[in-house]
This record gives sequence, C-alpha cells and structure tokens, in this order.
Amino acid sequence: MNAPERTAAFLLDDGEEKVEYYADTKVSNAGTFTFNKEDHTVGNLLRMQLLRDPQVKFAGYMHPHPLVHKIHLKIQTNTSQVAPAETLSAAIEDLSNETDHLITQVTDAIDKWKKENVSGMIGM
Amino acid sequence: MPQQRFPKVEVLSIAPHAISFILSETDTSMANALRRIMIAEVPTIAIDLVEYAENSSVLNDEYIAHRLGLIPIRYTPEGSMKGGDCHQAFVPHRECLCYDRCARCSVEFELDVNFDKVNQTRPDQERDLPLTVTSRDLMSNNILVAPAHFLSEEEQDESHDEGISIVKLGPGQHLKLKAIARMGISKEHSKWCPVAVATYRFWPIITINEEACNMLTLEQKQELVEACPDRILALDEITNNLVAVENAYEMATFTEDLKMAQEAMKKRPEDEDFVSVVHSTDRFVFSVESTGAMDAEEILLSALRVLKDRLNYLAAEVEKLKD
Repeated sequence: MNAPERTAAFLLDDGEEKVEYYADTKVSNAGTFTFNKEDHTVGNLLRMQLLRDPQVKFAGYMHPHPLVHKIHLKIQTNTSQVAPAETLSAAIEDLSNETDHLITQVTDAIDKWKKENVSGMIGM
Repeated sequence: MPQQRFPKVEVLSIAPHAISFILSETDTSMANALRRIMIAEVPTIAIDLVEYAENSSVLNDEYIAHRLGLIPIRYTPEGSMKGGDCHQAFVPHRECLCYDRCARCSVEFELDVNFDKVNQTRPDQERDLPLTVTSRDLMSNNILVAPAHFLSEEEQDESHDEGISIVKLGPGQHLKLKAIARMGISKEHSKWCPVAVATYRFWPIITINEEACNMLTLEQKQELVEACPDRILALDEITNNLVAVENAYEMATFTEDLKMAQEAMKKRPEDEDFVSVVHSTDRFVFSVESTGAMDAEEILLSALRVLKDRLNYLAAEVEKLKD
C-alpha cells in the first residue's frame, strides 16, 4: 500500500533537478553536489576520478539510504582559482573519453577474437 | 587538466550466451560501474501487461502473468542472428507519444491454447495426458521479437525441449490471453535483467622468488604445489623449478594454505616468501552470462553505451548548474 513506486529509483520526480549544488558555508573552495536518482555506479566512478586530479583536495560520496535514490558528492579544491564544479566537469569529461576509448577497445577485441576463432563460432 | 586513462581489453572467449574478457589499466570504480550497469541498467524487452480473455487453468491470472514476465524476450535486428540492443528499435513506453500502446513502444503476444482442440490432433499414446503450454505458444506481432529459445539451430536440433513451460492444461481447460511486452531496465523489475551472471575477479600476481626457491628440496617444492588447493603452482618438468600454471588466474582464490606451508618451511620467520600471491588493482577478469534475451557481447557494448549516455547527460546537467 505504501510501497514506493518501482520507477522511483531512476525516474526524476516532478520538478526535481538532476544535479543540485550546495556551497559549503564553513570550508572554502568546497561544496556538495547532490545527484538525484543516482547510486554507487556513478558515485564511486566520479569520486575515484576526482581523487586522481591534483587540484582536488577532497572528494567523497555518500548514498544516504538504500531507499533514498540520491548521492551526495563533496568536493574541496586546493585553491580558490578552481571551482568544485570545474573539477567535476573535467572528471566527467575524462570518464566520458575513457568510455569512448573502451567502446573502441571492446569492438576491436571482439573482432580480433572472431578473426582468430572463426571455426569456433556456432550460429553467428 | 586531463587525467584520462586508456584501458585495454582482451577477449578470452565469446559464445552467444557468454563472454569472458580481461579489462586492464583502469581501476575498480570502472570495473564495478560496468558490472553494475550490465546487471541493472541495460534495457531489454519483457512482458509487462497481460490481458486475459479466458483462463480455466489451475493457476490464477496473476501467477501466469508473473511467469510470462520472467520469459526472456529476444530482439533480433533485421539481417542479424544476434540478440541485439533494443534501445534504438523501441522507445520506453512512458516516453512514447501514443495514447495507450503502439508498435514503437510495445510488442503484443497472443496465446490461445485449448486442450480439447489440441487433444484431437495429438498421437494416440499422448491423448488425454496433461498438455504443457510453453513460450512457443506465444505468437508475436513483431517478427523481430520472440521469446528466447535456443541460441543456435544446432542447439535446437539436439534438444527435445519444447520451450519454457508456463502451465499445464487438462481436459476442458482453455487459456487465451494477450501479453504486452515493453522495454525496461532491471532497476524497475529484475525480469528486465539481461544477465544471469556478471562478475569480475582481480587478476592474481604470482611472484616466485627463484633465489629462495633454490634453497628448497624437490620434496619441499612438491609440498608447496600440493599445499595450494587451487593448484596454481606446478613443477617444471625439466628444471624442477616452481612455476605458476598458465591458467592460474582462473583458479586462484584461496592462498592461505600456501602461506602456512611456506611459513613452516622457512628457516627463520623473517625470511623472504618463496611464492607470493597478491591481487592486482588494475586488471580484472570479467565473466558475463546472458539469460538469452541478448547476446553476451551485445550486453557489454550496450552497457558501455548506457554509461556513455549517462556521463554525457550528467556533463550537460553540471554545465547548466554553472550558469
């Protein structure tokens, strides 16, 4: 009766923004991004990528509760020259390029395997 | 400041129902994202709505609807034999502009099995035995979409299987229904999950300290080989040196026994290990098995596409935030 909608895990609610930003009031160059309807898949990916950036002093994410479909990603940068949003954009772009690279790698690897194992293929 | 990585992929084996590959030069966050997407976010087609015209079988409507939902449905793009990615061929029904349903967002299956009608055409020895309604009785209105049966004709010829059982009918019973299949992801319901197995394991790094091993007798080396329950070590036939077996990465799981055996062989506790096994943090052995709804390699490519689309979407949303 009070079960949450099954689609609540991936469809944004009415009027809900995908990404929200809250600047930290106590720490300089820091802020928290809230990604609605996201989980560990994207959270951990972004955190690990941000941590590889020398301009980032701190990056961490949390998933508040398994039934609360959002993640909080906190970023602190080294200097006021670089905004947390800038580092986040760079991280997403790097990951996007990495995925592009992976797509070509996978396609090539599959083609290569098939060339070497043509006789082994059944029903292809 | 680009911090981009250039991961590498090596394929170990491909079959229609399974793929195994090595992903290297990236970290667990990428490997885990890929695994999680294959399990929960790759779209497939599954029966989502069932309209009953008649059901006099022993199972109630909901029970049969649930069973229908779990049947893997295969989309085969034109001119291909593969169970492909359905994302370009269909739109999610929530985003479709049609009033109720249309060919763009759903596929209709008709099922009409009447025991008494079928019974007349059955051979004598089978007459009056219970009749099994299977996924083969589902008639699709889209030639590209059908319940998954066999991945090849060869497999089909060898099998006596008649499809996936739904319910058994007795004399006088009749099942007639229309099932509507839609595209979805398994975050909503696991019937849309394309994989039965999607796992990765860390590549084991087996280091054999030759210098220390020279101090061991042949018996002791043999003892080390036997100490390891996964048999990741072997003795070289010519030189009698300890070597890691070729497919050690498939087997290495538990190496505590090996450690204990080594400790017992050391002259002093601070001596170096003869063999050390640690897991790599940037090399992963993936193993993916399909439910039959899609070919395994298509699941992998589809997962990468989903990830790519997601990242582009997030990039645009973050960009909006900056203004």
